[in-house]
Amino acid sequence: MDIIQSAMEMGLNQLTEHLAKEFLKGFGLPVTREFRVTSLEEAKACSKELGMPLVLKVDSPKIAHKTEKGLVITNVASQEALEQAFQELQNKHPLQEDEAILVQEMVEGKRELAMGLIRDPQFGPCVMFGLGGIFLEVLNDVTFRVAPLDMSDALEMLEEIRSHKILGQVRGMPEANKEKLAKMLVTLGEIGLNFQNIKEIDLNPVILRGSEPVIVDALIVLNRNE
Amino acid sequence: MDLLPLLKPRTVAVVGASDDPSKLGFHVMKSLKTWSYKGKIYPINPNRTFVMDTPTFRDLAQVDDLIDLAIIVVPNKRVEWVIGQCLEKNVKSIVLITAGFKESEGKEGALLQERLKDLVGDRIPVVGPNTFGLVSYHHGLNASFTPEFSLVPPGGAAIISQSGGISHLMAFLAMEQGLGLSYVVGLGNRLNVDFEHMLYHLAEDGPTKVAGLYVEGIEEPKRLLKAIKDVSDRIPVVVMKAGKGELADKASLSHTGSLAGSQKNYRFGILQSGGFVVEDVQSFLDLLKAYEILAPPKGNRVAILSGQAGPGIVALDACEDYGLSVKPFGKKTLSEIEEIIPPMAFRSNPVDLGPLWYDQSALVEIVKKVLKDPDIDAILFLMMFASANVNSIPALLEGLLDKRPEKPIFACIVAPKDIWQKEIKEGEAKGIFCNFSTPERAAKACAGMLSLEKRRYRI
Repeated sequence: MDIIQSAMEMGLNQLTEHLAKEFLKGFGLPVTREFRVTSLEEAKACSKELGMPLVLKVDSPKIAHKTEKGLVITNVASQEALEQAFQELQNKHPLQEDEAILVQEMVEGKRELAMGLIRDPQFGPCVMFGLGGIFLEVLNDVTFRVAPLDMSDALEMLEEIRSHKILGQVRGMPEANKEKLAKMLVTLGEIGLNFQNIKEIDLNPVILRGSEPVIVDALIVLNRNE
Repeated sequence: MDLLPLLKPRTVAVVGASDDPSKLGFHVMKSLKTWSYKGKIYPINPNRTFVMDTPTFRDLAQVDDLIDLAIIVVPNKRVEWVIGQCLEKNVKSIVLITAGFKESEGKEGALLQERLKDLVGDRIPVVGPNTFGLVSYHHGLNASFTPEFSLVPPGGAAIISQSGGISHLMAFLAMEQGLGLSYVVGLGNRLNVDFEHMLYHLAEDGPTKVAGLYVEGIEEPKRLLKAIKDVSDRIPVVVMKAGKGELADKASLSHTGSLAGSQKNYRFGILQSGGFVVEDVQSFLDLLKAYEILAPPKGNRVAILSGQAGPGIVALDACEDYGLSVKPFGKKTLSEIEEIIPPMAFRSNPVDLGPLWYDQSALVEIVKKVLKDPDIDAILFLMMFASANVNSIPALLEGLLDKRPEKPIFACIVAPKDIWQKEIKEGEAKGIFCNFSTPERAAKACAGMLSLEKRRYRI
C-alpha cells in the first residue's frame, strides 16, 4: 500500500499516528474521526465538524509515546479551551515541517483495551491482545497468537486475559462486540503477513464506546534494516 | 526416518559394553539384561570375551547379524569412528549416550556434533548425544543407563524430554503415582531426532494414549507447533516448557514488543496448535495420568460426591477456580438421591455421602444414578479413610467393575499405607477412576483435560 511504501522511501522509522490510522482504516479497522491541522483556524473549523469534547495531540513521525511527553491534551470542551490547548502544544513542541496538530474526537468509554503486532525471530508475525491504557504495562495482562489467526484463535484470546470479564456486561456497560474485536485481531495478523516492512504495531488504547471498539491511538513502526 | 528399529529393535549392539560399574557401559548392559528384552544383545568390547555372561565382539563389523539399534557409550573422541562403523554396517538406528558435544562449554564439542550431523544426515535416526537413552516399555527394551526405569509399569503415557534429570524425576514419580508409561525418551542434543519426529511416531503408536513433552529450548519452534497441529486430533499433547523463551527484541519501540519478551514459554503457540501447556511437573504427570486412565469429560458440569463434607467444600472451591461448573442436580437425580440419603446431609451437589458409611450398596447406587444424569459430565469422588468406612471403596469397585463408566471419575481416595491400595490400583487399571492425592489435583486434572480437548477439536 502507498502509505507504507512512501514512508519507507522517505526514510521514516514510524508512521505518524494519523497516517497509521489512515492505513488501518483501509482494512476496515475502526479508528477515531480526526483531522491534521497546522493552524488554529483550521482547528476551530474541525471542532465544528467533530463536536466537543476533543483531544489534541502532536502528530509526528518521530515521537512514539506522546502521552509520556505531555504532547496529548484531552477533554478539550470549549473554544477557549481549544485555543489554550493549541497554544500549549505549540509552546511545548514547536512544530517542524513534517509535524502537525491532530484534532480528534474524544471517545467516551471506560474500558481501554490494547492490540498489537510484533515480528518474532522464530514465529514471525504475532498478534497481541490485552488490557490497555495505563494498565498495559503495569498488569501485563496480555496474550499472543502466531499469525495467521482464525476467528476461533482470536475469540479465544479475548477469553484468555485475566481481566476478560471486562468484555462482558459490567456496571451497566453493554457486552463488547467480540466478533468485531476478534476480526480486528485477525486483520492485524494479515497485515503482519502481507507487509514485511511493518515491524511492530501498537494500538493502545482501543476504547469501547458502548459495545463498539475504536482505535484511539496507533503506532506503526517500520522495518529499517532490510 | 523410520523410528521403528529405534523403539522396537530386534537386535541391539552396545558399543562400549563393560563389566565395570564405574563405566556407563556397565549400566546400559544391566538395563538390557535385567528386564524382559527378547531380542539379541551384542556387546562390543575389544578387551573382554564376555560382558555379563554375554560373548563380546571386537567391533561392529564382527557381528554376523543385522543390527537394528546400536547404543554408543564410548568416550567422545571415538564416537565419530564408531558412527562411521555403524553406517558401514548398515545399522538402522543409534542411541548416542556419550556427552561432551554441543552442551559443553568449549567450541570443540559443538564442532564435533556438527561433523556427526554431516556424517549421518537423515540416513538413520540418532537419539542424543548427551542422553541417558530411551525406554520402550511395551517392547521390554531399556536402552538407557538406568536399569531402574524398568520398574515403572508399562502403560499409555509417553514422556519425551530434553532433560535427562527431568526424565528420571518424572519416571520415578510416575512409578510412585501409578502412571503407566509407553516410552521415556531423552532427546539430549537432538542430532537428528527431535520432538516432532517422536510426535509423528507416537500418533501412530498403538499403546501410546497421550504424549508429554518437556521442552527447554528449541531452534525452530514452528516445526514443533506444526507437528502438534498435525497429530493433536489423534493424540493429546501436553507440554511443559521451562526456561524463558526470548521473544522479540528487548529494544523494541512498541509496548507490544516489550511485553512479548515477558511472554515466556511459547505458551500461546502451543495452545494455538492444539496442545496444552502445564506450568509444573505435578500438573504434567496428573494430566498424563488422567488421559492414560480416563475418557475425557464432554463438558464442564461436575458432580462432587464426597464421603466427608470438608473435602467436598475444598473440591467445590477448586472447581470454581478451574472453571468447572458445580450446579444443583435436576429434579430426577435429586429425588433419587433424596430417597437414599436422609435430609441431615447435603444432597444436591456436592453430595455428602457421610450418612452412607455403613450402607455401601446405597453409596454405589448414588454413584450410578449420578453417572446416568445427562446433565453431569464428570464426577469428583472423594473418600478419606476412617475405620468405620473401610468397606466403602471395595464396595465401590465391586459395584462399578462390570462396566467401565462412560463418564470419567476423578477420585481423591486417601488412606493409610496398606489400606485400599489394592482397590485403587485395580480401579485405575480397569479405567473406573483415576486417583489423585488431593481434591485440588483431581479438579485440576479434570479441567486440564477439558481445556486440552477444546484445543484439539475446535477446528
